[in-house]
Amino acid sequence: MIPRTTLAILLAGLPALFAADAKGIDFNRDIRPILSDNCFACHGPDDTTRMAGIRLDTKEGALAALTPGKPETSRIYLRIAHADPKRRMPPPSTGRTLTAPQIELIQKWIAGGADWKMHWSYEKPERLPFPVTKDKKWARNAIDHFVLARLEQEKLAPSPEADRITLLRRVSFDLTGLPPTPAEIDAFVKDKSANAYEKQVDRLLASPHYGERMAMPWLDQARYADTHGFHIDSHRDMWPWRDWVIRAFNSNMPFDRFTVEQLAGDLLPNATVDQKIASGFNRNHMINYEGGAIPEEYLVEYVADRTETTSTVWMAMTMTCARCHDHKYDPLKQKDYYRMFAFFNGVKEKGLDGRDGNADPFLRLPSGEQQKVLDDLVARINSREAELSDEKVKPAQQQWEKQRLALLEYAAPAGLREGLLAHYEMDGTVNDHSGAYRHAQVLRGEPASVLTSVGKASSFSTPSHLSLAKVDLGQEFTIAAWLTQGHHEPQTVLQQPGRLNVWWDASEPLPHLRRGAHLHVETPGMHLRTRDRLVQNDQYHVAILHSAAGGLAIRVNGQAVPVVREAETSVTKREAGALAIGQEDDSEERNGFRGRMADLRVYRRVLTETELRYLAVEHRISHMLSVPAKQRPKELTQRLREHYLTHVAPSQTQAAWADLRALRELKALLEDAIPNTMVMSEMDTPRDSFVLARGDYRNHGEKVTPNVPAVLPPLAANAKPDRLALARWLVDPSHPLTARVAVNRYWQNYFGIGIVKSSENFGTQGDPPSHPELLNWLATEFLRTNWDVKAMQRLIVTSATYRQSSRTTPAIVERDPENRLLSHMSRFRLPAEIVRDNALAVSGLLNRKIGGQSTYPYQPSGIWEEISRGEIFSAQVYKESQGEDLYRRGMYWFWKRTAPPTSLSTFDAPDREKCVARRSVTNTPLQALVLLNDPAYVEAARVLAQSVLSEAGSDTAKRLALAFRKVTGRAPEANEMKILTELATKQMARYARDTKGAAALIAIGASPADKRFPAPELAAWTNVATVLLNMDEAITKE
Amino acid sequence: MNWKREMQLLETRRQFFGKGARGLSVAALASLMGTDAAAAPTGGLTGLPHFAAKAKRVIWLHQSGGPSQLDLFDYKPQLKKYHGSELPGSVRMGQRITGMTSGQASFPCAASMFKFEQVGKAGMWMSELIPHHKKIADDITLVKSVHTDAINHDPAITFIQSGSQQPGRPSIGSWVSYGLGSETQELPAFVVLLSQQNSINADQPLFSRLWGAGFLPSRYQGVRLRSGKDPVLYLADPSGIDREGRREMLDALQALNKIREEAYHDPEIDTRIQQYEMAYKMQTSVPELTDLSKEPASTFALYGEDARKPGTYAANCLLARRLVERGVRFVQLYHKGWDQHNNLPRDLALQCKASDQGAAALVQDLKQRGMLDDTLVVWGGEFGRTVYCQGKLTETDYGRDHHPRNFAMWMAGGGLKRGFQMGETDDYSYNIVSDPVHIHDIQATLLHCLGVDHKRLTYKFQGRWFRLTDVHGNVVKPLLA
Repeated sequence: MIPRTTLAILLAGLPALFAADAKGIDFNRDIRPILSDNCFACHGPDDTTRMAGIRLDTKEGALAALTPGKPETSRIYLRIAHADPKRRMPPPSTGRTLTAPQIELIQKWIAGGADWKMHWSYEKPERLPFPVTKDKKWARNAIDHFVLARLEQEKLAPSPEADRITLLRRVSFDLTGLPPTPAEIDAFVKDKSANAYEKQVDRLLASPHYGERMAMPWLDQARYADTHGFHIDSHRDMWPWRDWVIRAFNSNMPFDRFTVEQLAGDLLPNATVDQKIASGFNRNHMINYEGGAIPEEYLVEYVADRTETTSTVWMAMTMTCARCHDHKYDPLKQKDYYRMFAFFNGVKEKGLDGRDGNADPFLRLPSGEQQKVLDDLVARINSREAELSDEKVKPAQQQWEKQRLALLEYAAPAGLREGLLAHYEMDGTVNDHSGAYRHAQVLRGEPASVLTSVGKASSFSTPSHLSLAKVDLGQEFTIAAWLTQGHHEPQTVLQQPGRLNVWWDASEPLPHLRRGAHLHVETPGMHLRTRDRLVQNDQYHVAILHSAAGGLAIRVNGQAVPVVREAETSVTKREAGALAIGQEDDSEERNGFRGRMADLRVYRRVLTETELRYLAVEHRISHMLSVPAKQRPKELTQRLREHYLTHVAPSQTQAAWADLRALRELKALLEDAIPNTMVMSEMDTPRDSFVLARGDYRNHGEKVTPNVPAVLPPLAANAKPDRLALARWLVDPSHPLTARVAVNRYWQNYFGIGIVKSSENFGTQGDPPSHPELLNWLATEFLRTNWDVKAMQRLIVTSATYRQSSRTTPAIVERDPENRLLSHMSRFRLPAEIVRDNALAVSGLLNRKIGGQSTYPYQPSGIWEEISRGEIFSAQVYKESQGEDLYRRGMYWFWKRTAPPTSLSTFDAPDREKCVARRSVTNTPLQALVLLNDPAYVEAARVLAQSVLSEAGSDTAKRLALAFRKVTGRAPEANEMKILTELATKQMARYARDTKGAAALIAIGASPADKRFPAPELAAWTNVATVLLNMDEAITKE
Repeated sequence: MNWKREMQLLETRRQFFGKGARGLSVAALASLMGTDAAAAPTGGLTGLPHFAAKAKRVIWLHQSGGPSQLDLFDYKPQLKKYHGSELPGSVRMGQRITGMTSGQASFPCAASMFKFEQVGKAGMWMSELIPHHKKIADDITLVKSVHTDAINHDPAITFIQSGSQQPGRPSIGSWVSYGLGSETQELPAFVVLLSQQNSINADQPLFSRLWGAGFLPSRYQGVRLRSGKDPVLYLADPSGIDREGRREMLDALQALNKIREEAYHDPEIDTRIQQYEMAYKMQTSVPELTDLSKEPASTFALYGEDARKPGTYAANCLLARRLVERGVRFVQLYHKGWDQHNNLPRDLALQCKASDQGAAALVQDLKQRGMLDDTLVVWGGEFGRTVYCQGKLTETDYGRDHHPRNFAMWMAGGGLKRGFQMGETDDYSYNIVSDPVHIHDIQATLLHCLGVDHKRLTYKFQGRWFRLTDVHGNVVKPLLA
């Protein structure tokens, strides 16, 4: 129950491993951490909370509180060693206490002259010559001299080199995230040349999977995800940026360019599309679209996120501590924070965005082919639009409008009132205008009068019920009305018990954040519904026609629409009740009517085409024309124009218009298919930035302009202080942090723990480096090689330090449980994505495709749906991928921030809401459940078993040896063979008895079971494979 | 029980104890050595609890969306007079409101249309929507003057669950399991239950960060217990593998891992062996936990027949009791759908109907089992609702927007007064008049009941010692028994 991380926590309180027998006291290593952790909160950089005027984070301050050489008269020492607990520092209220060894260290430090140094990470790294070691043979490169010197100092020896199989498996995971194939292992084992290992390293560095492996930790730092996060957490597309990262690593882009393009690619002169894509790094933060949220608040949060992420990723600085007040430990003023903040405060973005896909600003990325088609479409659209310009169309249209207006009175076909049983204009009133005075009665709800494109309509905002005339519909009838569906729940529109039921079913999401429902019409013996969904909130003219022959038809906007005939109708013929709108109570099936209705007519006959067209089209035209042109809302003007172009204009114009509509639809379809990605882009005038009191967006303080923290070197003198200047400043050779932070993170990838363990914090509260000279040497080497990323990886993995065996002894574990001294190689569990990739790879299921859109592997149902907002937004319902996409690498799993991939989270993958520089590595029962029971792993085991059975013949020992080798790379030992043979035998016997169970087991997964093998045999070997895939060794990088 | 294997496991633990365990806490060692799951907590911090704990465990019933204090607990008879009239500027005092009503031309007051009744020795007012709550009036502490900093769901719910409006901090349940460890080796220390929605308003999302571990090691994150075949993800053996077959596989696996451990001496391998055993145990203990078939009829009389349907609020309340009975430290229950911007009378009634009996039954049930003395139950949302109407005010209908300035929460059990209420608001339930209680105060008080000083439960991240209550929070002493 004690995972490594817990151990680390428990051990954290102990004095530094390195202080114990260090000869001299090193201020930065031994003293500053004590002062920082225990004193700086009240005696540190924050001017506003400093107590008693004493300041211990600067040399001047400290010297004022002590006398070098004389601890007994030094105020600091006297107070920390005070006999009276009330006077002893730090006071109990802080919750901090100094241990006796810590007090002793400070005493010795003062006695020794109180040597003071600037905090190590703010000083430029110094390249020292290699230390001299006794052992002259072990070191292979620079790294080893530093590591060995330290080991010799501690009277420890390095471990022997790992065997070749282990070594190749280790370096393959580290450089590609994938295990070596047996053939690759064989080739390496057989290669007797002196540089056999280096050849393997070069092969792996050249693999296209190298870029994927290097991108994985970068995605955590960049808080990459496929959704916006926050409340709605809908879909976004940033995978083109992810592809850029993979390409950048594969092409060995130097780290300075990698930095500049991601922070300010958009600001580079003549920025390329790729450079703009790269700038999406700082658009990976979460974006909110919660209804009611205050845009200004979130604009500040986005900028704060960029400030924090950039500071953590490149400088391992805890900048955010200075958001609300001066930093308590590091020399950062609150103003420093807002100056950094100001660099990121000019992006052309909105506070609330991401409603439908990417948020502004974003970049469309058409393929060459798509661009060609798009250009062509745009050209054709432009020429058609020119043909149909107002200039050319308007005179004739106005002419028609005038004529048509004159005809208004005569437009209604003669006899339209014939057979009219009831007519409700539904203009807010419920009066019958048929002449029969059968006024309706509002039983529930409240009609409001609203103006629509057909004139006034009655709007019902709550579930409503109106009793209409009790009319005998007879064998032939027509019911017609303008209808708007106003709510997504199923609802009754019209009903007459025993005769008719007209209703909407539940409205469902449609593309582009719309919803729609089917309209159903039921009569005794017939139930029709529209094939397509009618869009919620749109106004339709609906007519229901019933002929004497029993024919039933639905007309929408005067046109026949495709219908589906349902098997059953709920209307049984009996004595007819009154016609009604909506229903009395909400039932489980349907509610009362909500929406709009206008011009409801009930006829005792089937209307003619002319009459229907009049009601659905001409009537509306008449209404629209009756509004004087100058007062017409835009929508009416638009509709009139469309009507004119569709129905009235000369045939050539009508054809041009039909063509334009088709072209526009094509363009919309194409644009939907073109990927886009969010990028940085500056406003013409950036927003003003202010110091925000307590970090609150409402409290504007002093106005600030972009600048870098005072403790670090200044920006280039002549540079315009923008993001580009900031990016170039970060990679200027004079910057003390960037190179060290970068190489330390590489180190962490290989050894589990960085040379500075707190790889996210190089400040005074961070951990001191275990090998400061090595860290400095690597940083200067990184600069010397012009930020050559591959060369740096090569340097590390070809060192003797890296090539050591990971075997330990109890004594070493006792002495150095975290292996900070590097007396052997650290062994630790593979990262979440690689645990999965490995199982898929060894079984042969892995789809090695690189890049592209994210995919949806197996996930238990409901994980998203139980928590997501639902409704019309995207990424609320998990739709499992099909076929090959199920087996893509873990890094391509669609990352929904509020519900990250289940089995990856279980293995410590972060949720990607924030920048993460270091993952925890836990060891929990839930991980065991994933590896044993997740269908992804059961399927991988079965497919692995299939390949073993087909390659190794029928001999159990051969099969076991092959399976073992596929999973671990090595041959099993005799004692391992014995355990496995016994297991295989028992499982075979078990499934010989339980053939049903066998069939069930091998049916798991989308890939079909190999029919060549009897189910019991395959099932037994599936379980053997599961055991192998669950071995600690299988999921561990040795 | 297989004694041989138990002995082997014990031996594994002893070996671990013997090796490289420098700095392990006494509690951790005790648990490694112990065979009785309930005897000693596992994995908590040395020195915790800081002082005698009144409560050992917590059940937090989160009513997500923001229940209307005005229609449940904060009775304002005077409002009838003001019904339909504009909220006075002297009351609103220019406070910020959400983007949903900031464009509204008027802010008419809406009196609750529900009947209130005074109950219990403290004379708590409760509305007709929560009849079952009236039975527990003498068991709970009602605070009508809770206030929060956030005005919209995402930041507000993140704030109440993690002490910060912005994502990234550990949730309260993960803080508690980090600090106090687990009292069971067969179940996770921190369990999350999501209740099915009864309301037709399906717009209340939740986020895994709400039970996430933030910067704490991810093992402290809450484990979602779901209704259905796999209450814990991937719990069930795959089809075609029975318990014996699984045991056979595990025995082989453990033997292989043991060989590796002997060669490499990495304590992590021992840990993994133990995790697989715990997983195996969970496969029995979790189904036993979620199987309600052995609960007597009296249980369902208390919680209601709804409790027989997995995933309902009532079933989850019952499950919460079963979880704490088995030593789970923190049960976090969520109930979506309390966001009544419109149709409040209808929708709030549905929400209450779905949850009133379950919540009250849980308190009564714990009490009759003697567990209320050392279990803390918390009920509340992330904010309250406005007195002014959102949308159209009619005789029978109104809606209310988010209101962070005051709302009602209740707590019951371990360490708290019973039948007690505090905090008063003005005639409009718009401002606090007396005894304001901030979210950080609620969090500090909860930790206090668990024997934890909220200022001393800290974790160092990015150089700073973080805590649940940030740099704020005071224990609300008047609430303590």
